[in-house]
Amino acid sequence: MIRLQNVYKDYGGRPALVNVNLHIGMGEFAFLVGPSGAGKSTVMRLLYREEKPTSGQVLIGGIDITRLDRGQVPLLRRRLGIVFQDYKLLDKQTVFDNVAYILRALGVDNREIAKRVESALCVVNLEDKGDAYPDELSGGEQQRVGIARAIVNGPPVLLADEPTGNLDPVTSLEIVQLLEKISQRGTTVLISTHDQFIVNSLRRRVISLKNGQLAGDVDSGVYDMEAIGQTV
Amino acid sequence: MRKLRILSGVATETGQGLRRGGWSNWLVVSILAIALTIFGGVLQLTMTLKNVVSSWGSQLEISAYLKDGYEPRSVAREVSQMPDVKLVEIVPKEVAWQEMQQAFKVAALNNPLPNTLHIQLTNVDSVEKTANRLKTVDSIEHVRYPLTVAKNLNRFRHFIEAAGVAVTAALTAATLMVIGNTIQLVIQSRHKEIEIQSLMGVSPWYIKGPLVLQGAVYGFASALVATAVIWAVRAYMDCYVTGQLVGLLPLLPAEVGYGMVPTFLVLLSLGTAVGAGGSAWTSGRYIKV
Repeated sequence: MIRLQNVYKDYGGRPALVNVNLHIGMGEFAFLVGPSGAGKSTVMRLLYREEKPTSGQVLIGGIDITRLDRGQVPLLRRRLGIVFQDYKLLDKQTVFDNVAYILRALGVDNREIAKRVESALCVVNLEDKGDAYPDELSGGEQQRVGIARAIVNGPPVLLADEPTGNLDPVTSLEIVQLLEKISQRGTTVLISTHDQFIVNSLRRRVISLKNGQLAGDVDSGVYDMEAIGQTV
Repeated sequence: MRKLRILSGVATETGQGLRRGGWSNWLVVSILAIALTIFGGVLQLTMTLKNVVSSWGSQLEISAYLKDGYEPRSVAREVSQMPDVKLVEIVPKEVAWQEMQQAFKVAALNNPLPNTLHIQLTNVDSVEKTANRLKTVDSIEHVRYPLTVAKNLNRFRHFIEAAGVAVTAALTAATLMVIGNTIQLVIQSRHKEIEIQSLMGVSPWYIKGPLVLQGAVYGFASALVATAVIWAVRAYMDCYVTGQLVGLLPLLPAEVGYGMVPTFLVLLSLGTAVGAGGSAWTSGRYIKV
């Protein structure tokens, strides 16, 4: 579903990713780990085409997204669910409207919107919070709204960029378990994180990055700090 | 149906944007209304002056004196078919002689005057051209025309036109700037929202469309205000000033004012187009999605 082939990316000559090769299959659940500056966010930004690699290919569903022109990028992003560390919710809109936003922009009819939003809110256990505003919710609840928004359009791929970065350990675990539950419904989920606790708790595939290079790729793995050269 | 729902979504977003704008909407509309009022005033003035000049110009006459032996009616028919000729009046030599005798008490001589045609033109620009064309007609002996007056009137008219274009260009640029800066502020204040929309895969035009419509609404509303102001000023002028001017300048034609309906239409289309255009340009420049 997701494939990176010899991906190299630099910023003004400073390499951020060096010849990264990666494949994540359909419906797979994986963590992308590494210390700050390892290149996790760069991989994520390449996947949702916020940036293009200096060289190499990035394929999603068999399509080389580096070749998409600007007009096609929104079409790609509609097939991806993206979850952010800072939630990125619209402050002046209710939870329902935040989740419904993309559907309205796509011209989906109101009855279908109501059905799909309620279903998404049900998945994240926020069915009774539709009328609330983001600032009335806890951090964990806001992140769950972000997840509901990411899955409302039924994307085959869900990317979560440090989704637990602003949350306490218990809430973090809840959020990651929720993403795991979504993966079990057939969605490919890739989570970038440097949270050792959640990675070790789930024991799923762990892809490690170190200085922009692939340092490990283990099924049912743990956060191997030694492999990525991280110290406590 | 789906497209209709998307358009309705764009309209809703526009409404929300305007509601969020609050008092700044009034500020923008006021500034634009001032610019459009000046533009509308200049438009009224230049068009009125143009009408006055045209009216004076249309009163200019070319006199063509015919050779003996030619039938004035047939020459008049030939001349009336020339381009830009509005009216041809025949002054038979008998009538001219009779008038001359009455005016100057001339002794009883044989009538020395020729048949004459007085020719009025539709366009003051063509006085010289038509006069030259008349000179080539066999039946015409001599042509007399007020060349200096025609040239001066033309020069004046061209000056008015150029001044009108310059003022229009300056005010359009000012309007574009105001709209552009306003939309830029809106974009800055909605920076986070626009980023989220873009990351969700919302179409660029769904993001930019409401901003373009917002600019168009500003332009439209400003045009309405400007028209109201111009209408009020004109009503005052019609009541108190025009009558006195006509009294002072008897040559001023009674109906020279430029109509309010065309002014309103020009302001409305210009305001809306510049509003939408300015917003589209600014959105294109500052929103990278």
